[in-house]
Amino acid sequence: METFNKPQQRRSRLHSNEASVAYICLIPAILGLIFLTYLPLLGVLGISMTNWTGLKKPEFIGFSNYITLFTTDPYMKDSILATLYFAFLSVAGSMIYSLFIAMLLNRKIPARGFFRAVFYVPFVLPAAAIYVGWSWLYEANFGFFNYLLSEIGLNKVLFIADSNYVVPSLSLISVWLSGNLIVIFLAGLQNVPSVYHEAAEMDGANGWNRFRHITLPCMTPIIFYNLLLSLIANLQVVTPALALTNGGPGNSSRFMTYLMYDQAFVNYKLGYACATTFIVFAILAAFTAVLFKTSKRWIYSEGDDDK
Amino acid sequence: MKTMKKGFMFNVSMVLLLGMMAGCSTNNNNPNVSPTGEATSKPAVTTTSPSTEKVKITYSMWGSEEEGKKTQEAADKFNASQNRIEVKVQAIPWENYMTKLNTQATAGQLPDTGILKEDGVIQWSSDGMLNDVSSMYTGSDSKPLDSLAYKYQGKTVAYAAANEILLLYYNKDMFDKAKVPYPPSALDKAWTWEEFVATAKKLTVDSNGKHPDEDGFKPQSIVQYGASVENLAWQLEAWALSNGGGFYSNDGTAVRIGEDASIEAIQKVADLYLKDHVAPLSVGQTDDGIQRTIIAGKVAMATNGAWNVGTSLNAAKDAGLKYGVAVLPYFKEKVTLNTGGANVVFSQTKHPKEAMEWLKWYTAEENNWGLISSGIWMPTLKKWYTDETLTHKWVDNPNFPPYNEYKSAVVDYAQSSAARPAAWFYTNHTTDFNTLLASTLGDVWTGKTSAKEAISKNLEALKAANKGQK
Repeated sequence: METFNKPQQRRSRLHSNEASVAYICLIPAILGLIFLTYLPLLGVLGISMTNWTGLKKPEFIGFSNYITLFTTDPYMKDSILATLYFAFLSVAGSMIYSLFIAMLLNRKIPARGFFRAVFYVPFVLPAAAIYVGWSWLYEANFGFFNYLLSEIGLNKVLFIADSNYVVPSLSLISVWLSGNLIVIFLAGLQNVPSVYHEAAEMDGANGWNRFRHITLPCMTPIIFYNLLLSLIANLQVVTPALALTNGGPGNSSRFMTYLMYDQAFVNYKLGYACATTFIVFAILAAFTAVLFKTSKRWIYSEGDDDK
Repeated sequence: MKTMKKGFMFNVSMVLLLGMMAGCSTNNNNPNVSPTGEATSKPAVTTTSPSTEKVKITYSMWGSEEEGKKTQEAADKFNASQNRIEVKVQAIPWENYMTKLNTQATAGQLPDTGILKEDGVIQWSSDGMLNDVSSMYTGSDSKPLDSLAYKYQGKTVAYAAANEILLLYYNKDMFDKAKVPYPPSALDKAWTWEEFVATAKKLTVDSNGKHPDEDGFKPQSIVQYGASVENLAWQLEAWALSNGGGFYSNDGTAVRIGEDASIEAIQKVADLYLKDHVAPLSVGQTDDGIQRTIIAGKVAMATNGAWNVGTSLNAAKDAGLKYGVAVLPYFKEKVTLNTGGANVVFSQTKHPKEAMEWLKWYTAEENNWGLISSGIWMPTLKKWYTDETLTHKWVDNPNFPPYNEYKSAVVDYAQSSAARPAAWFYTNHTTDFNTLLASTLGDVWTGKTSAKEAISKNLEALKAANKGQK
C-alpha cells in the first residue's frame, strides 16, 4: 500500500482526496457484493438451520441438517468423492492439455490463427448442443465411439452408463472445453522474454531444459491463475450431470452442485439444500485457501509481487 | 459453460435470497391464508351472492406463453358461458413450474387453482395446501375413472387432468421382416414374461444375423434388439406389482420393495440386457425411450406411456413409421399403471366452489380436445371409455394407430382391473423414494451388483425416504 515517498502532510491530503473518489466509485460494486453475495450467503447459512420446504413455516432446527448430511444422507459422501475425483481429473487434464496446446500454438506454424480459433471454439459453443453431441458419441449401445470399437473388433465400453467410466468420460469433455485456459496460457507464453531462450540456446540447452527452467518458471503466475480458475469451476461442476447423466449411474456423477439442485428444486428441501450449499462453499474456500497458501512457494516473481 | 455455472450459482443464491425475504414476510401469518389476513376477516364469497361483480379465479398451468394463450381461449369460452366467474390463466414454463408455485405458496399468493405435478400432490396435501374436491362431481352424469383420484387420508384431494397408462409399443416393419406375429392387444391374450422374452429373442440379431439362443451369437455386436423395458423408477413399480410384490403397502405408508417378489421383478428387467441379451442397456439417464427404440428402428418392442402416441409417434407415423400398441406382458398378475398431472384447488383460495366449477368445466374433454385428439392426453371421464360413439370420436382419427388395436390395447386396458394408480396418487415423498431407488439401481443395470444386493443394502434408506426423512 505504501507506495508514496513524499512529505507526510501532502500525502495524506492527496490520499484522502483520492480515497474519497475511490470509495465513491466503489459504492456500486460494494452494494452489489453486499446484496447479491454476502447477504445471500448469510441467508443461506440462516436457512440451512431450518427445515424450510417453501410450503410450511420454517422451524429453527440448529445443526441437524448438517448432522443428517454427514450421517444418514444416502448421497453426501458419494457426492463429495465424485466431485473431488472429477475436479482432480479435469483440473490436471485441462492444465496439461491447454499448456501443451498453447505451446504448440505459440510456434510459428502455418494457419496459426485458424488453429487458435479451432481450439477456442468448444468453449464458446452452447452447452446444451455440446452435451447432446457428446451423448451421441458416448451412447452405450449404438454410440459413435462404440461403433468404432466394434468395427475394429473390440468390446463395447459403456462410458457414461458405467459407474467406473462416467467421471473420466465427463472429465474428458471438460478438458476438451478448456479453450479459455489455452488463450490465457498463450498470452502468458508471449510474455516470456525471448532473450532468456536465446541465451539458453547459445549455452546449448535443449528444448526440454528450456521448457523446464525458463518457460515453466516464467509461467507460474499464469499457471496459478488458471489453476485457481479451473479448480473453482470444476468443483462447481453441474452441467454434465444435468445434461447427460442425472447424477448416475448410481451416485457416480452426483456432483455436489447437482445434489444441491436436486434437494432444492426437485425435492424442495430448501433448508437442507442450503446446508449442502454451505458445505460446498466451505470445501471451495478450503481448496482456494490451500492454493493461495502454497502459491508463494512455487510462484516465480520478477521483482515485487502483486498483492 | 463456465459462465453458465456461475449464472446458475447466482440464480440459486438470488432465489434463496428472494425466498428468504418472502419467507420473512409471511412468518407471522398462517401460510394457509393470504398475507393480508383478508381471508380471516371476511367470510368466503359464495355463488349465492347477489352481487353483480364476477368472482375472479386464477388458473395456473405449465407451458409456453403460446400454450397459455390457447388455454385462455378455452377459459374465455367459459367466461362467456356464465356471468358469475371470470377465469384468468397463468402459464409458467415447465422447468420452473413447481419452483414458482412454491415461491407463491410461501408468499401466500398462490393462484386459486392449477395443475400440479403428480409427485407433488400428496406432499402439498399433507402440508395443508390443497382443498378437498370430493364434491366436485356430485350429481354429474359421468365421473373420472376411479383410478384417477388422488387420495390423502381417504379424502379426494385432486383428480388427474388427463389419463395416461403404460403400454407396449412395437415396430410393425421389424416384426414383418422377422415374420414374427405381433404382440397381443387384448388383455386376455397378454403375453407372459417368458413369451415376451422368447419373442424378443427372435427379433434380436447380431452382425452375423444370429439370435441370442444360437451358437456363435455375439452379444457385443448386436445390431437390432428385441425389447426394451423402460426402467425409470416409477415405471418399475408395474413389474413389482405384476410379480405379486410392490413398492408400497396399499395406503402408501409401508415400503414393500425389499420383498423377494419385488426384487425378482426388477432383476428380470435388468436381465433383459444382462442375461437374455434382448435389450439395449439403459441406466435411466434419459427420458426418450420411444425415440431411441421404436422410432429409431433399433428395438422392436418398447414399453412406455400412452402420451408417446401424441408427443413423438404421430410425427414418426407421418414420416412412414408403422407402429402398433399392445398390452404389457406380465409375471403373475396383469398390471399397468395409470397416471396424470393433477388439477387441484389450493387451500389459499377464497373461492373454492367457483374454482371447482371451472375445473369441472375445463376438464370436460371437449375443452382439451387438442391434447386429446393428438393422442397426448387420454380423457378422464368414464363415458369416453364405456360409450363406443364417444370412443370413436376420440380414437377414430389419423393421429392414432388402427381403431380396433388402440381400443383394445389402450381404451379397454385403461378401464380394466389391470390399471392401477401409480404410487403418487396415494403415497407421500415419491420423489425422494424414486430418486434414491434410481441411484440404488445404477449398478444393477450394468450387472456390477444384483437387485437383491443393491436393494437390501439401501432398504433402510428407502424406508426413510418414504417417511420423508433422509
